[in-house]
Amino acid sequence: MTEDAPLTPQEEDEALAAEMALGLLEGDDLTAATTRMAEDADFARAVRDWHERLAGMAENLTPVMAPARARHAVRERLGHASPPLANDPTERRAWWRGPMGAFGGLLGAAALAVLFILPGQDPAPQPGFQAELQVQDSEMRVAARVDGREMEIAMEGGTPPDDRDLEIWWIKPDGSAPISIGLVPRDGNLRMTLPDGLDPAEDVKIALSDEPLGGSPTGQATGPVVAISDLTRS
Amino acid sequence: MTDARRTELERLISRISLGDRDAFDALYDATSAKLHAVCLSVLRDRPEAEETLQEVYIRVWQSASRYASNGLSPMTWLITIARNRSIDKLRARKSRPSTAPEDAAAALPCDAPSPESATIMAQERRMLDECLARLADAQAGAVRAVYLEGVTYADLAQREGMPINTVRSWLRRSLLRLKDCVSQ
Repeated sequence: MTEDAPLTPQEEDEALAAEMALGLLEGDDLTAATTRMAEDADFARAVRDWHERLAGMAENLTPVMAPARARHAVRERLGHASPPLANDPTERRAWWRGPMGAFGGLLGAAALAVLFILPGQDPAPQPGFQAELQVQDSEMRVAARVDGREMEIAMEGGTPPDDRDLEIWWIKPDGSAPISIGLVPRDGNLRMTLPDGLDPAEDVKIALSDEPLGGSPTGQATGPVVAISDLTRS
Repeated sequence: MTDARRTELERLISRISLGDRDAFDALYDATSAKLHAVCLSVLRDRPEAEETLQEVYIRVWQSASRYASNGLSPMTWLITIARNRSIDKLRARKSRPSTAPEDAAAALPCDAPSPESATIMAQERRMLDECLARLADAQAGAVRAVYLEGVTYADLAQREGMPINTVRSWLRRSLLRLKDCVSQ
């Protein structure tokens, strides 16, 4: 190879296309190449060809199965999680009906009481709902807000541990199994459109369970329920 | 990748663009282990690779409708999303600005390849390993490290003990040589 001869203009273009596909360009070079891709069809094609050519290296990698919880988490984050079968023979004791459920009911009643005590409140000015979830024995506080069919979850206080996630559960009043609606985001807000079949109402409860990173690997809560609250009108 | 597999993946992506969750599950079954390997190769950290894999599939769901216009084969499109997202994470970890915009694959302008060019690319793909083997070990190693591990020119310069411009010129020539070889 003639190491010292300068590249021809065609070779320069080809090398630039390769660098673009590899993500090696920075700053002005990157800006210029990005612009050129939009304007120069031959250059765009050269970049695309490099993507194809190089992808062969990735295709030769040995596949590594991802844990099942990854797929589960993707479904949840997209709002695809479907309610489990109503009569799951493996289902254990329904925790939301146990002591924590009663506790949640009390919290809900307390929240309602607060609403009645607050002076000058318009009874129901908006169609929204909300739930405030204070995690037991922790500084963590999570807010859930529902506006129409849009739901937003935000960590309002405290810091989640590095090695655990909080999973959010929607509990219908009909006694069916809780439905996971996602993981509490570590920062920022989680926004989602409620899937069909989840209708906000005052007798719906929202709960948080403590789960391994990525959430429950089974689709059912595996860790302890650390917070539960009714949805209340906001 | 066989033509039948390519057609099947294209069919799945097209159904995903219409919101078909079964197609999305099938695409995940067919491709997630490979994309997970890509994430792991770049990030070398299991939890981070798993998280990144999730983001990749969320992105696939969200941008499937734009796939048809980007002209990439389905597996290349998926691999490119996984690689770019992983490299973004890697560079964020090193507090460097991103140089691989995650939309790069989705943003490629519309110009679908002809059947001939798809065939040519499939032939090149088969040649790739052989041609990498024909490069000097250091050259092939650098090309692999840049693609599969997200190594930058600055990293290469440090690794080889050479100035960045020298490394850049050297890698560009390696890439051109690789292309000449696979297009023979």
